Amino acid sequence: MGLLLDIAVFVIVYYYLKSGKIPYVRRVAGLDAIEEAVGRSAEMGKPVMSTIGIDGFNYWTLAALTILDHVARDCAKKGCRILVPTGGSDSSYIVRPVAEEIVKNAYKLEGKEEDYRPEDLPFLSGQQYAYTGGVVGIIQRTKPGACIMVGGHHSEAMNIAETSNMAGALTITSGTYMGNVAVLACASDYILIGEETPAAGAYLSKDPAQRASIRCQDIYKGISIALIILGTIVLNFGSNFFIQLLSS
Amino acid sequence: MSQILRSKELNLIAMFLAFLAVFVPYFVNVPALDVFSTKLITITAITTAFTLLLAIYSQFRRGFDFVRRKPRGWIFKVYMMTAILLMLLFALGGLETGPYHWVMYAIITPLSSVNYGILAFYLASTCARAFKARNTKSILLILTSLIMLFYQAPFTGVYVNLGPLGIYLADTFVMAAGRMFLISVTVGAIVFGVRVLLGQEPSVLGIGREE
Amino acid sequence: MMSVLKHFAEYDRRIVYLALFLVVTIMLMTPIGLPISVSPSTMQYYDVLEALGPDDRILAVLNTEFSGYMEIQSGIIASIRVMVEKEAKICIAVAHPEATGIPELVLSAIKSTMDEHQYTYGEDYVVLGYVFPNEASVASAAQDWHGAIHNDFYGNSIEGTFLDEINDWSDWTLISDYTTGIQTTALINHFGLRGAPMIVNGIGVEISILAPYLDTGIYKALLQSMRGGAELEYLTGHPGPGMTAMDAFTIGHYLMILLIVIGNIGYFGYTRNAGRNVE
Repeated sequence: MGLLLDIAVFVIVYYYLKSGKIPYVRRVAGLDAIEEAVGRSAEMGKPVMSTIGIDGFNYWTLAALTILDHVARDCAKKGCRILVPTGGSDSSYIVRPVAEEIVKNAYKLEGKEEDYRPEDLPFLSGQQYAYTGGVVGIIQRTKPGACIMVGGHHSEAMNIAETSNMAGALTITSGTYMGNVAVLACASDYILIGEETPAAGAYLSKDPAQRASIRCQDIYKGISIALIILGTIVLNFGSNFFIQLLSS
Repeated sequence: MSQILRSKELNLIAMFLAFLAVFVPYFVNVPALDVFSTKLITITAITTAFTLLLAIYSQFRRGFDFVRRKPRGWIFKVYMMTAILLMLLFALGGLETGPYHWVMYAIITPLSSVNYGILAFYLASTCARAFKARNTKSILLILTSLIMLFYQAPFTGVYVNLGPLGIYLADTFVMAAGRMFLISVTVGAIVFGVRVLLGQEPSVLGIGREE
Repeated sequence: MMSVLKHFAEYDRRIVYLALFLVVTIMLMTPIGLPISVSPSTMQYYDVLEALGPDDRILAVLNTEFSGYMEIQSGIIASIRVMVEKEAKICIAVAHPEATGIPELVLSAIKSTMDEHQYTYGEDYVVLGYVFPNEASVASAAQDWHGAIHNDFYGNSIEGTFLDEINDWSDWTLISDYTTGIQTTALINHFGLRGAPMIVNGIGVEISILAPYLDTGIYKALLQSMRGGAELEYLTGHPGPGMTAMDAFTIGHYLMILLIVIGNIGYFGYTRNAGRNVE
């Protein structure tokens, strides 16, 4: 069953990428706010801080790298400085070179290579709270106009979001687990919940084909809801059919 | 040669083959593929560990530049680089049980515990700032949070039995929200992964998107 | 009156920090011994531990760095003490490099219980150290224990210890996970989903993530953070750091409630009216 659903995902995403159909995609306030955040920082002459989490190469970090690409391009276009501190865990070492490459490429593609500053992408520490101390220090010294905190953040997310709020920065975060979502919803100005973060790359690209692939997520959510309802009904009639079908 | 290795197509092919090597053994029982998949994951983990050297190089490069320019706080960079060298010497010199342990348990772990403890203060100030009854939804939020705060305080349970209400809230709304979050995140991750494999998200390879 | 309401609406957050600091410090230094209640989840956890016996083999995985250990240390010490009292065989493994010193701290805290039950290293307990750095290592250990693990934390071979009886995931009676979320998913994927009984002691923010697994039966029991550890100490009759902190825990919660109430008084009494006056 799992294999069939996975194959179906490939087929449906490919279909939407090639079909040229443009389904309606609701506005995601957090993602729209990213452009506003960069613009606001450029007007105030303040830098933008964009963190990509403390995890290694998991899908939160990959989603954060696609957002970093957009933010870096925007910053390069508007002449705004971008700070990307990395680190926080043993597996974060491998992410920094990729982030560095993304930001460097963004400046190159916008024709602003001379504005790229490698010292704005510091690797702070492989230890979670040493990294947190470093980021909090950078926020308090540089007073960024916006803090875009997406990716695999854990308990340090609260520290950084609250400090960013104290520094007067527009704070956009993404919650990687329920506990984080709850606290960040209170501490930040905008929050990306659940699938909004991995959908960000497609959403921000404004490419109709990419946006169409987001429809696949909705199809699968519809299938999940249908299975939950059917499973509940069938279970109440004494049958374990759906449980057996979906269990490993 | 470097242009060939950096080409988007080659990177995507390598990514797709690695994906198949890890994905297929879940569904098809081929022992040789199982062994290959485990070895591939182990090789990746070891390669990732070697990037520690990149991190150390990055720290020293930035550190030397910082110390040369002597801005405010440059002495802390000297302290950091000295600490890295000392810890490397302790570890490589077989001094793990003495000085290395002392630095870990006398300096690093208390400092990281303090940073973790600071979370409680930030949470308190966020609660005070954000929990305002501006509309119906926020009133419901505040009422729920008051019930859960009272329920979680162990002393309350001695005199007022909020257990059934707290457990009901945790087993229905919180559980439902948690499961909804897990489902949406998983679905989003799968679709994102497919877009990456189909080459629609070049940023993950460090390649910028050409417009 | 308006100035009071204005202060309630616009107080400096440093007052919040100072109030919380004073409340916690005073309660920790001079505990007043407030009674605590025991929650059903802790009773369930305790029942699982009470059902253990001398032939049982337990894999205790410390999935925590040192900062997280401060929150769940009461649960770790109390539960491993019960395992020792039941004379079960315990293997302690660690999933974070910072946590390699934690087994020694835990074992020294329960030394009297271990001496009472004549616990011998190798025969009754083994400390493996940092053997679960990633999911690959957890997967390997679940499939072929001796293929993945060769030496203990002290560099000695594990041959000749009780681990000779372990071949794969099915030979463990219980997997006890003490987690801040590091390799928890890996343990669930490679031990729990295969059928190995699991219990978990998690930090507060992990509870909402772990609860669905309790509901589906993958976890037999869930001990909730410092409060659960304190309740377990109370149930086992060995007060420790958890129970000591419960006064501060309780008063801290009441302080948060007070802050929310004060903030709303200030909001309704000043902020909303000030907005209307400006209009």
